[in-house]
Formats: sequence, structure tokens, C-alpha cells
Amino acid sequence: VKTDTKYFGEIEYDEDDLLKFSKGLFGFEEEKSFLLIPFLGNGTLFSLQSIATPQLSFVAMDPFSLDEHYNPVLQPEELEALGVKDSQELGYYTLCAVKEPVSETTVNFKCPVAVNVRTRAAMQVILETEEYHMRHRLGDFGGKKGEASC
Amino acid sequence: MLILRRKANEALLIGDDIVVKILDIYEGGVRLAIEAPKEIPILRSELVQAANANRDAAGGTEKPRELMELLGNGVGAEQ
Repeated sequence: VKTDTKYFGEIEYDEDDLLKFSKGLFGFEEEKSFLLIPFLGNGTLFSLQSIATPQLSFVAMDPFSLDEHYNPVLQPEELEALGVKDSQELGYYTLCAVKEPVSETTVNFKCPVAVNVRTRAAMQVILETEEYHMRHRLGDFGGKKGEASC
Repeated sequence: MLILRRKANEALLIGDDIVVKILDIYEGGVRLAIEAPKEIPILRSELVQAANANRDAAGGTEKPRELMELLGNGVGAEQ
């Protein structure tokens, strides 16, 4: 199947690769299908590309590449909706608001996208913990990130 | 801003047709029951903040290459 994308022009994808957000994302409740496309083969930075709206793409990062101790804990009903028993069975992505200079870019550790890698069911959640916020400055993370890129 | 004290099982009224009842209070939280006309939206405030954060995350117009450069060079290079 083909689709237009914000960053990559027209691409071909497999229906099985789609992430299915049955509730959409916060503020984007009608957007239910996304593709996760890596930027330049790098394993930490992705385009979360809407299928319904080619111009809509979120910049997503692997949160563990920023903080290896990142520890999202979902509510029981969220786990149930994603078809797992434990938060650790899921994959996570954090959305970034890219700014210039880049150290002012913020990442949303409070509202990760959680993915059941097996079924491709996905959901954006708001974590209960006070430990994470919606706008952590990228510049505030330690120097670990460099190792993960390229 | 009006601030008032309520106990569990007490309620308050806003206008004629909104009732907010305190169901129970536990360490670190309360459970509320809200009765309001259908056309009045009720949102957890963090939901609005989350939607705003998402809008910011969707707003960028950067090309991927510039973005990679930005992220690759910028993070951890400072301080």
C-alpha cells in the first residue's frame, strides 16, 4: 500500500506495520493509524506518521536512549486495553516538540505512546507519576544520547 | 477564586444543573462524581495540556536531515 508522508514523500508500507490507536492521540482523536518510520536508519529518532493526514507527523524518540531508567507504569485498564499484563511488556516512544536551539527541544515523558509490539495496538497515556512532565528540555539530559546515534 | 471545604459524600452545585459530589477521599486523591448537561465538556486538565504538547510536537516543519543534525549535534554536547 502507498501513502504520502510529511518527511519521506510517497512511501510503500505493509498494513501489518500500522500502529492502531483505537482512541487516537490527545488532541488528535480522529487519527487512528500511524506508521513509525525511522529517520535515516537511526534507531532512536522516528517519524510517527499519520495515514489519514499525510502532513501530520510527530517526531518521536526512544525514551530509553535519553534516560535508561525511564520507567513508565500504566494503569490496569490501560494495560488491559493494550492486551498485556505488565507495563514492561510494551514498547514506548516519547513525542518531541523540536525547537531551535535543539537543547530547547522538549520531550513528553508524561505522555508516552505505548505499543504492544506483537499486536500493533497502541495508545498514548498520561502517566500518574509526578516524576515525569510533558516538557523535559532535551538539554537537561546527560551525555548518554550520543552513543545511541549512528 | 472560591475555595471551600467539603467532606466525603457532600456535594456542591454550580448554577442550576451542575452537581459535583465528593465520593471518597483517599491518600493522595479524591473521587468525584459530576452531573452536568451533555453539552458541557468535562476534561481532566492534564488532557488539555497533553493535547497542547502534542500540537507542539506535530507543528515542526523541519526536514529530517536538519532534524537529525540538530539532534545528533546538540544533545549532551552542552554543559
